[in-house]
Amino acid sequence: MSTPILLTKLYKPTPRPHLVSRARLIDSLNQSRHHKLTLISAAAGFGKTTLVSFWAEISEVPVAWLALDEDDADVARFLTYLITALQTFQATLGQKLLKILQSPPIPPVETLLISILNEVMELPENCVLVLDDYHLVDSPVIDNVLSFLVKHLPPQLHLLIITREDPNIQLSRLRARGEMLELRARDLRFTVKEATEFFNQNMGLNLKVQDIANLAERTEGWIAGLQLAAISLQNHPNPNQIIEEFTGSHYFVMDYLLEEVLNQQPAHIQDFLLKTAILNRMCASLGAALLEISEEEVQNILETLEQANLFVVPLDNARDWYRYHHLFGGLLRQRASKAVTIDIVALHLRASTWYEEHNFAIEAFHHASQTQDMDRIIYLVQGDKSPLYFQGTVSPILKWLQSLAPTVLNAQPELWVTFATVLSIAGRNHEVESKLDAAEEALKTHPDYPETSNLIGEIATLRALLAAPQFLVDTILEQANLALANLHPANTPMRTLALWSLAIASQFQGERLTARQAYAEVIALCQQTDNFFINILAHTGLGILYELDNELQYAAEIFELVVAEIGEPPLPMACEAYLGLARLAYQWNDLTTAQEYAQKSVELARQIDGISDYVGGELLLGRLKFVTGDRGGASAHIMQVEQEVHHKQFTHFYGNVATEQIRILIHQQQFEKAKQFAETYELPLSQARVSLAENNPAETLEILNAYLQTMFAQKWADEILRTQILQALAYFQQDELAPALEILGEVLHTAEPHGFVRLFLDEGPRMQDLLQIASQQQLSSNYVTQLLTAFVEPTAHPAHPSDQPLVEPLSERELEVLQLVADGLSNREISERLFIALDTVKGHNRRIYGKLQVQRRTEAVARARELGLI
Amino acid sequence: MANPTNNPSDNSAPLIYEITLKGHLSPAWQSWFDDMTITLTDYGETILTGTIVDQAALHGLLKKIRDLGMPLLMVRKIDPKSPNSSTEA
Repeated sequence: MSTPILLTKLYKPTPRPHLVSRARLIDSLNQSRHHKLTLISAAAGFGKTTLVSFWAEISEVPVAWLALDEDDADVARFLTYLITALQTFQATLGQKLLKILQSPPIPPVETLLISILNEVMELPENCVLVLDDYHLVDSPVIDNVLSFLVKHLPPQLHLLIITREDPNIQLSRLRARGEMLELRARDLRFTVKEATEFFNQNMGLNLKVQDIANLAERTEGWIAGLQLAAISLQNHPNPNQIIEEFTGSHYFVMDYLLEEVLNQQPAHIQDFLLKTAILNRMCASLGAALLEISEEEVQNILETLEQANLFVVPLDNARDWYRYHHLFGGLLRQRASKAVTIDIVALHLRASTWYEEHNFAIEAFHHASQTQDMDRIIYLVQGDKSPLYFQGTVSPILKWLQSLAPTVLNAQPELWVTFATVLSIAGRNHEVESKLDAAEEALKTHPDYPETSNLIGEIATLRALLAAPQFLVDTILEQANLALANLHPANTPMRTLALWSLAIASQFQGERLTARQAYAEVIALCQQTDNFFINILAHTGLGILYELDNELQYAAEIFELVVAEIGEPPLPMACEAYLGLARLAYQWNDLTTAQEYAQKSVELARQIDGISDYVGGELLLGRLKFVTGDRGGASAHIMQVEQEVHHKQFTHFYGNVATEQIRILIHQQQFEKAKQFAETYELPLSQARVSLAENNPAETLEILNAYLQTMFAQKWADEILRTQILQALAYFQQDELAPALEILGEVLHTAEPHGFVRLFLDEGPRMQDLLQIASQQQLSSNYVTQLLTAFVEPTAHPAHPSDQPLVEPLSERELEVLQLVADGLSNREISERLFIALDTVKGHNRRIYGKLQVQRRTEAVARARELGLI
Repeated sequence: MANPTNNPSDNSAPLIYEITLKGHLSPAWQSWFDDMTITLTDYGETILTGTIVDQAALHGLLKKIRDLGMPLLMVRKIDPKSPNSSTEA
């Protein structure tokens, strides 16, 4: 479970009463609903937050607030808070995404963003999301996230960013397109008129016009400066002296005035301010722990300060939490560092302890890292149930590790391993190996180091993970096994990762039993650690393995479980489960369902950049065309898939694509070409099919018998079935009925409990004949009858489509796309409008043309209108 | 550009920088700015001078300056060999 949501970050600040009227700026802000982005960018002390909170109060559109800080540089955390803030507009928005964000590794960020934006599209009315203190999130990754959001922002949502420096998100483009509203220092400064209102009305001073003008000029309208000036003037016995001194000097405004105001405070308040300056935020309890005074006293001081508009800002309505106004915090900290009577380290320790006692793990860590107490820091990093970095807290820990000298790391080798782990989670894979090497070197110098075995295990786990995306199967297996042999049995997070690597490697190798066992173990572990993402992937893997073992019903159950777990709208990672369901539906001859699921799978998979998962779905869609009689469409479709697969060098899929091509080539009687393909890609079953088509059963049997040996040895149940069925046909072709029926009997026996249908249907009229004979010989009667019935059921394919309704109706999505095509949008515009990849749009178009039996856009629109679809 | 010091990975050589801010800062700020020397000019500016370990440290320092609200006027790298020559940054 990750750290709790800090509600104070979502708190919309209540504007103070008696603010200077800033009508001109409020008018500007009211225009925000006509812009994607409103940017309020100015240095500290220009009243940005005050202005926006005041406007939010009177705004006609709903406003959500998110106060950002350095820790939001972590993508998972940023997105978590983003979604939670958006829930202000609709309470259930992104609920399932929140779950996924709780345990890394998280899916590709873009897919998460697309999901979020899709849900935002459902919001009924205009709304504004305020991101306060964006400059604190010092992260190019988050800048990219923000760029993406702004680019694809649905019309209802408007962003308002408050920052001290311009965010790196292509502002010039937004400016040029008129999509951005800006308020900058020159807009936010107090005019002389506003300064006058401020000094004489709000602060109750009675300054002369000239004095106000001088002060305004001296501060250049800088509100924080004017504020401090006013406060110091209020309490100063000789205001004129101050004004003269101040306006006549070059003293840095803040520095000078802060000194002035601070000195005017009673001693105990000064003490309070300096000591609590180390805190990002404070409440009475924390303040009391820090200063070792009573909570009541602290609360009084905080409220006094707030009343006097001195430095502190309330973070919630109940007046429980406060923070320092950013400007003052920094200056106070500087003062505190110089005060000899203050022991900063001791204060940090007290703060850390308080935060720990109250379950604020990240803050406890932050403060501890300011002390030299290594033991304590490490203890806090390790966390309660699992290390902080496994819960999404990456940047602060990385920063801390980077600040440590190598000698410190060498003295405690587990720090090197932590370093490597955190880098790996942060996606900086190329930096990991050097840290692992350093860890091993360091361990050599500590022969009796405690928990050495576990560390060796962790090092191996990380090496296995590094090897996985590169398909280095041998390395993965070697390291994963080494890891499992050495990891502490209670080290669940690492064990899960090691097992996961093992499962993937085994699956790549075709070691199905090992893979299956490994996935089952991973799933069991995931229950313990509540790791949603790995759980889904492991289940999907398990489902596939069941399917490969011919356990079709079990497989279906698992895939359905995954789909249900992921919920609606489905996340892109559900694509494999949908594909599994599509394959099963196909096998059970439910072609409509297969079509639906395959399409869904492709749509989802295409949303994930750079991944090849959609190929399986596209191939199935091609096959569906073929078996429903649309041979031309199938051929065209498969050819397109082949082009894409080879262009993107998805070598993993070359064989699958070739298999479908060979089917089509056999149908077209292009046996030579088919044979070539089968040889090039080493596809024995396809080779066998070609030989059968050429009426060469001897050759067929030669190929199949050899292949069967291998398959028995590897225990690949699905291939055994497919091989045996072709064997039966070969014997049949040779007029050797007895062996044919014997093998067929075996196949039927194996296949019946699982409901295999297309296994037989796909082999065509020859199989129909054989089954006919079999039924006459009373072999598995019911099942055989069922199969024979399936053979004769019509799978209609209209020869002349013009007057007939569509065989395959257009899906909702396809109708959407078609409507936009009819509206004259280009493919790119459609992809932007619907937040899907351009490839996806083109895929939709292909399918639409196929279903409508047309070649061009104009024809498609015409036909659709004819059929009354649009 | 053939100048080897433009190589972004060569962050290792310490550099002397001169940072000019608007307004006068009291010398008490020296330690806050990592022991930079503070010089106050007659034009109402403060010049911070000192050794900066690498680019990352420079950006950290600039951020500190920004967060305190002091207007930044100029950043110059000083050539330690001939203090009168410098390259504008």
